[in-house]
Amino acid sequence: MSTHTLDKAAVAQKAATDRASSAGCDTAAPKPPRRGGRPGDGLSVLRTVVWVLMALVVGLPLAALVFQGVQPAARQVFGDPAVAVAAINSVASALGSALLATLAGAVLAVLLERCNIPSRNVLRWLVLLPFLIPPFIGAMSWMALLGANGPVNKALQGLGIDAKLSIFGGWGVVFLLAVHSYPMAYLVIAATLRRIPGNLEEAARISGAGTSQVLGTVLLPLLRPGLLAAFVLTLVANLSDFGIPALIGLPERYTTLTTLVYRYLASSTTSNPLPAVAAIGLLLLVLAVLVVLAQRKLPADTQLGSGPVGQRLSLGGVRIPLTVLLWVSTIIICLVPLFALASQALLPAPGVPLTWENLSMENIVRVATSAGAISGIENSLRLAGGAAVCCTVLGLGIALLLTRGKHRSNTALDVSATLPQALPGLVIAVGWLLIAPMLGIFNTPWVILGAYVMAFLALVVQSVRAPLASVSSTLEEAARSSGASPLRALLDVTTRLAAPAALTGGVVVLLTAVRELTISILLVAPGTQTLGVSIFNLQQAGDYGGASALALLVAMAGILGLSATAALANRRANN
Amino acid sequence: MKNRLTMLAPLVLIPMLGLTACAGGETAGAADAPAEKTLTVYTSEPQAKIDQIVEAFEKANAGVNVEVFRAATGELKTRIAAEKESGKISADVILAADVPTFEAYAADGSLAKLDIENDTALDAKFVDADGFWVGTRIIPTIIAYNTGALSEGPASWASLTEDTYKGKIAMPNPDVSGAAAFNTAVWLQESALGKGWMEKLVANEPTVLESNGPVGQAVAAGSSEVGIVVDYVARELAAKGSPIAVGYPSDGVPYVSQPAGVFADSQNQEAGNDFVDFLISQEGQKLAVEQSYLPVREDAGVPEGAPALSEINLLDPDQEEIAAGQKKAVDFFNSLLK
Repeated sequence: MSTHTLDKAAVAQKAATDRASSAGCDTAAPKPPRRGGRPGDGLSVLRTVVWVLMALVVGLPLAALVFQGVQPAARQVFGDPAVAVAAINSVASALGSALLATLAGAVLAVLLERCNIPSRNVLRWLVLLPFLIPPFIGAMSWMALLGANGPVNKALQGLGIDAKLSIFGGWGVVFLLAVHSYPMAYLVIAATLRRIPGNLEEAARISGAGTSQVLGTVLLPLLRPGLLAAFVLTLVANLSDFGIPALIGLPERYTTLTTLVYRYLASSTTSNPLPAVAAIGLLLLVLAVLVVLAQRKLPADTQLGSGPVGQRLSLGGVRIPLTVLLWVSTIIICLVPLFALASQALLPAPGVPLTWENLSMENIVRVATSAGAISGIENSLRLAGGAAVCCTVLGLGIALLLTRGKHRSNTALDVSATLPQALPGLVIAVGWLLIAPMLGIFNTPWVILGAYVMAFLALVVQSVRAPLASVSSTLEEAARSSGASPLRALLDVTTRLAAPAALTGGVVVLLTAVRELTISILLVAPGTQTLGVSIFNLQQAGDYGGASALALLVAMAGILGLSATAALANRRANN
Repeated sequence: MKNRLTMLAPLVLIPMLGLTACAGGETAGAADAPAEKTLTVYTSEPQAKIDQIVEAFEKANAGVNVEVFRAATGELKTRIAAEKESGKISADVILAADVPTFEAYAADGSLAKLDIENDTALDAKFVDADGFWVGTRIIPTIIAYNTGALSEGPASWASLTEDTYKGKIAMPNPDVSGAAAFNTAVWLQESALGKGWMEKLVANEPTVLESNGPVGQAVAAGSSEVGIVVDYVARELAAKGSPIAVGYPSDGVPYVSQPAGVFADSQNQEAGNDFVDFLISQEGQKLAVEQSYLPVREDAGVPEGAPALSEINLLDPDQEEIAAGQKKAVDFFNSLLK
């Protein structure tokens, strides 16, 4: 729990803030001398290669989706009232959870970044825990915690309270989506907060403002772009989540567009569900693009001069009560569900009382050695590894073109590289489902790999672009004046400068893809069952013990892996 | 120019390497043992059970590598339908569901005639007279109850409509579970039950869960006191210590026989037949008994805690009628829920 702990998801945070300042780095970067664009130039070869790959990985699936989605057969789906209900549920749950998440993220950011709360560093790590655990595993944890005869309801019964808490249904979906997206909001808002220079606050204080006035009149107005960015990010992410609505919503017949598409593909009454699925995918695509466009119209970022960050706000008399409240809610939201998951994994069967003698490693040993889980782990590692390598290389190429070459196609490149991140995973999966038969890769792992690359490419682009833009191009100019070609200078000098950031981005891709569910469940085929799908299947088949055992292992690996990556990235950034 | 292009090579090659690395797993496996055949099995067996079956089969059949795709019956049927539409079914063997499903596949030419030996050791009602499928285990649907909440479970399907069970029943979704879809049709055709009974059952507000597994979990954990569920799920939970007991309804027990068949499109007919034959061999059936299933052979024993087949009032409706009425029955059930 070093002082760097917060910046765990340093990369994600950079990604998020970059997106907030959507205009891109061309303008923010020290202006490089004009290069590239000359026909036959090495850079244009690189540009061509990158564009060809982008057309394949991003352009083709989206084009197929749009083309299929506007066919008359596809449009019929909008006559189905079930689709309308699911669309309303999707939008409502995404809006509600994004609001909650932004609110929670803002409160936490102000308290943990700018107030004198004791034990801030431990708290920062704890509040980020839900970010490190895949949402569907979070859903499983809450199911274990709030089961009809789970620990909470047992305790309520013990207290003589007749009410039973249940996580299932629309409210549960909104709550859990918020729980799993507020860390993202927190990271974005905290990053904005750190860029607000202290002299503005000092000016307010000198004019006699107290803590609450500084908050209300200086910090909050300046935070507005950060709040907006956080809201949009969480909105889009929550629009596309599959695990939470499937596990929490479906038992109460609360359907969202994602679970509806899964239903169409998994147990449809029509023999060819693809047109309907394409139409729903197109609807989500339009929704996501509208949200992104709306955000781009709004003021992108507060342009502020640099300066030392303001001093910590003193909370005065409410400091201790607030700290206690923060600890209690953090433990309830971030830790207790994990313990419930662990107890479910460690008990041999449901309904067996939780005592020390009853705990056993049976479930964990059973799933860790089962053929299904092992092939799931292998598939996930292989696919995530492949995606990480592809994303790192392609993302590096894109970031180089964006930061070190001026070209009229740069804006388009920027949009096509970062747009998929704003798209629901469902849209990406459906796009690949549609082009798979054309490319002859239907029912193969290649479909999932392609979709992963499309979905996670932006993680690398964004992690490379910001550091690269802040490094001036003097080194490359030195290489150029020593006789190196533009491409040679780019490959020898710039690539080396950017390599560490690209690697960090690649590792984040690896760790994100390895536990992915939404895309893999829609594209799964014989022999390509991923880890996320394995866990989901165990859960759906009613093997809660086995599912939670495997989920527990994944959660642990995720927490350790992402914490370590972020700590390393952070250390490097500080050096 | 040439120099510049060679420098670009890594940029192009590395993604290619990444791609081939992904496929590497499969091709490498094939290269190690060139004679190895891959058999793809579509099944609705629980993952752990099919893993054990595959392990035993591969041990007895060197050179065959079995790849399993496990999903609920409803999902398998959709996948097969989609694959048929786009060309050919990519599985060799199917082990799932109920007789009507297989009758439909046999009728539309999706299945190949089986070439197996062990079918003669089975009761004729578990073997297709035309030779397209063979039953592999008897899976009765019963009424389970939580022993912490109730000292005695409902004795019959008819008693489930009593007021005492209002809001306390869990049952699987017939859209997802093959056995549940089959049962829905059987209940409707039983003269003592029929539409009137089903209306009353749904009026008792049952919780409709995805499949049999979650129903067992719900009863064991006590979130539902009573569950309509396949018997092995409940017996297994009881054996592990969950507070759940099994009652075989006095007014008749519907069952599916989890048939197996080989697809006509399969390039691996021989290995496919071997797999099906293994399932109904004495060894395969003993494994089924170890996995808590009621066997289709008499020489394989009975699972612990299960009654002998002769003690259960198994319902044997006309399979063709069930096949014809299944979709309508499920639609009727779903219309009641809304």
